[in-house]
Amino acid sequence: MTRVNIDGKEVYVEMNSDEFEKVKNLLERDPNITELGMFDVMWSEHCSYKSSRPKLRMFEDAEKNYNYVLAGPGQDAGVIDIGDGYALAFRIESHNHPSAIEPYHGAATGIGGIIRDILCMGVRPIALLDPLRFGPLKDNSHSQWLFKYIVKGIADYGNCTGIPTIGGEVEFDDSFESNCLVNVACIGLGTIEDFKNAPSRAYNSGDYVILMGGSTGRDGIHGVTFASRTLTDMSEADRPAVQIGDPFTKKMIIEATLEAVKTGYVRGLKDLGGGGLTCATSELTGDGNTGAKVDLKKVFTREPGMNSYEVMLSESQERMAFIVKPEGLNIVLDVFRKYELNFAVIGKTDESKVLKVYDGDDPIVSIPAKALSESPTFKRQEKRPSYLDELFAQKTPKPSLQFKDIIYRLIASENICSKEWVYRQYDHEVGVRSVVKCGEGDSGVLRIIGTDKFIAASVGVNSKHCFLDPYEGAKGGLVEICGNVIANGAKPMAMVNCCNFGNPEIPESFWYFSKAVEGMNDFCRTLRIPIVGGNVSFYNEDEAKKTAIKATPIIMILGLLVGEENIITLPFKNAGDDIFLVGETKAELGGSEYHSVIYNLEGGIPPKVDEAKIKNIWDFIFELYRNELVKANHDVNKGGFIITIAEMCFKNKLGVNLDLTNCLDDKLRDDELLFSESNGRFIIETDPKDFDKIMNLANNYGVYLKKIGVLIPQSEIKVRGLKNKDFKLSIPKLKEYFDSTIPNLMER
Amino acid sequence: MNIKIAVIEFAGSNCDLDTVHVLKNVIKGVEADLVWHNHFKESKYDGVILPGGFAFGDYLRAGIIAAHSPAIDEARIMLDDGRPVIGICNGFQILTEAQFLPGALLRNDSLKFICKWVNLKVVNNNTAFSNKMNLGDVCALPIAHAEGRYFVNNFKELEENNQIVFKYSTEQGELTGEANPNGSLENIAGICNIEQNCIGLMPHPERASEAILSPKRTIHGKLFFESMVEFIKRRLS
Repeated sequence: MTRVNIDGKEVYVEMNSDEFEKVKNLLERDPNITELGMFDVMWSEHCSYKSSRPKLRMFEDAEKNYNYVLAGPGQDAGVIDIGDGYALAFRIESHNHPSAIEPYHGAATGIGGIIRDILCMGVRPIALLDPLRFGPLKDNSHSQWLFKYIVKGIADYGNCTGIPTIGGEVEFDDSFESNCLVNVACIGLGTIEDFKNAPSRAYNSGDYVILMGGSTGRDGIHGVTFASRTLTDMSEADRPAVQIGDPFTKKMIIEATLEAVKTGYVRGLKDLGGGGLTCATSELTGDGNTGAKVDLKKVFTREPGMNSYEVMLSESQERMAFIVKPEGLNIVLDVFRKYELNFAVIGKTDESKVLKVYDGDDPIVSIPAKALSESPTFKRQEKRPSYLDELFAQKTPKPSLQFKDIIYRLIASENICSKEWVYRQYDHEVGVRSVVKCGEGDSGVLRIIGTDKFIAASVGVNSKHCFLDPYEGAKGGLVEICGNVIANGAKPMAMVNCCNFGNPEIPESFWYFSKAVEGMNDFCRTLRIPIVGGNVSFYNEDEAKKTAIKATPIIMILGLLVGEENIITLPFKNAGDDIFLVGETKAELGGSEYHSVIYNLEGGIPPKVDEAKIKNIWDFIFELYRNELVKANHDVNKGGFIITIAEMCFKNKLGVNLDLTNCLDDKLRDDELLFSESNGRFIIETDPKDFDKIMNLANNYGVYLKKIGVLIPQSEIKVRGLKNKDFKLSIPKLKEYFDSTIPNLMER
Repeated sequence: MNIKIAVIEFAGSNCDLDTVHVLKNVIKGVEADLVWHNHFKESKYDGVILPGGFAFGDYLRAGIIAAHSPAIDEARIMLDDGRPVIGICNGFQILTEAQFLPGALLRNDSLKFICKWVNLKVVNNNTAFSNKMNLGDVCALPIAHAEGRYFVNNFKELEENNQIVFKYSTEQGELTGEANPNGSLENIAGICNIEQNCIGLMPHPERASEAILSPKRTIHGKLFFESMVEFIKRRLS
């Protein structure tokens, strides 16, 4: 906090004194209190990306380099052209701090915010996905409370708005105990024309500026500056900075906005999220190279006596700003009237390139429209944490349990077990698009009605891997999440990310961010995946323990596939079929669930990504698909391939005769083979008559491929061919462990 | 003969477009209009569906605000002259609040929203929404609700009048407690009025009318809408 002198009064601002000087230079005078508040919000880390921007510049220009990318980073959402005249918009962002303080409303308004981001691209929101992080649930009532109410907040808001929640990811780890992560993603679908009709800019002068939706109240003032510092004991006092959502109004706003866009009279559209009216008006005019005159007297407020500072900085939910052609004003207002939504014509755009705010006749604010987005950037220091060498050197103890007992414990562990308790509470089918539903596949698959196209979406990353090596961990996240959509038969089309890290002013924390960005950049450039958007959440620290969260660069991938017959699903289908392991297993137990669940170890050597090998595997998998050789596919991640196989057995009550003789390697111990989380592997089911064909293709593509077993009608997994003695797993018992962990922790 | 069905869009309905999609693209030989609740006029239509969702946010109590919409006055005219009036999920809640149907839908016994596929046993196949089924047939449909626990004081009367249409069951048609997802009285999933032209049910047939959406590739949901069409045809002939 910095103390500055305004109009003879001393006030505190979040910006530092250099930034305050820059404000004075931009205005060529001292700012008044409202102007200062506006700069303070817009130049917060959350709005301005002042620490992350210099690093994020390394990403390639997606709009320029990929012909199907219609909107890239810097817009409210990434947009891609999927053919047939349709555009898909998608974005992910964080709502960590509000949710850690007030889980129900924090999570709900997170959903509300991401829906608005998609809506303001002019398209209908059709799906939600939510990656979450908590402290371990066992014996921890605080974690259970956060988990219960965050899931309920997401469910109540998403269900009411009629947008299905089709996927997500949950991890539990000590580092998230007081600073949980709530990342929210939304996908929108519309015609390319819809998208082009609704730029988030005011390009023309003489258009009306309309505020529509919820009323402006005193809630959420400075929500973004709250998000731009570390949570402390004092944060409880910040609870008023958390807004309250209203999903019913949101549903009306969705319908009214889409109907208004269809009239053709809407020329610009922007949601009011972080930074409220300040952010919306300055970005519409600043990015559109226009100016505007706005009268705050016209803004409908929730309570009387709100001053201009409060109105400009309120982050009340459920509000949208429209730029409307003068001749269409009444037609657009009639749409709002139909849905019984509040609205006010609050001003008009002009050519001045200045944002002028009045309170009736009194001028309050006069700021060059672009100035608010011209925040200074900071070059942050980075330093590899010294504790990593020690962690890398950790050795796996000698197994004290039998393998079968280890596997039963792994499948029951909080990070691996079924998340059905979560997705049963989400309406994941509304919209009649959900083809591969929650729990049925690696990704959520939606049909595009009226075409033969399908989209597959998945989110996540492995925080334990990223903690040990953020560069390889971020790449590993990309391999895994792309692997999820590939396992369902879809080709990865584009990526957005949500970077959750600690305090960027601490060099060790910033190092994690910096390395993760480098990892994403290298991987995406090599594998040709456009990065079309991102969000950065810093200051995720546990103030009591003085530690940052485990680095969590969440990846979201959208994939595309054509033809229902090309959707691949996870469950094993027929006894007698062959089981193949695609991709090599290495001694990479660092950050594995095996280390953490069995030995309570965080260290070891984490998985590394070899892009050339990953590319070969992906090309090989798609070659198998083209030849219709794959009956089931599931990507390998937490717990290793033995867990993957167990999950594939559940639905159709099939078992497996596993013979791992083929995979034996002098350099690999049995536990390394079974439990390593090496990247880029898949388990596939194939017809035995295709064996030679498949082996030949693997040879052509230079892919590591081993037949490791055969499906059997008995409900057991028999394992032989290890250096250790053979063992058997009961599938009903595995299923029981898999299903019961979370209900047992949450329903008692 | 052009059969016209109205799907009412209350403020907050969210299965309206899904229902229209199925009527238009899956069920043959019907016209379906999405009608904003304040604009609905019964005279143009042979039947009406109140779709699922959260009409008026389910504020106050699920369905009660919508039960006071002008659309309900129009629907009452249809109810009285024997045209089919169907309520799905939130629509069922509205029909009980409007007292087209007896009983009430209470909070699920788990106190949670539940989205999952369940099985329904047909116990009355004479109604406007079940005449294409056989008694004892088991249909696979999904539910998605937080307030779906059916309760009625005079259950005996309901039973005697043959007003119970669908019950939650196992895949084999057994009416077990396990098969009851929300604690409904006597596993009741759907009921009708005495005249059998008004039916309310919690599961979503519009989500179960196309094989691509069904876990076991069934299309049982189609039978519900085809029953409605059949009912209208018989009425008009």
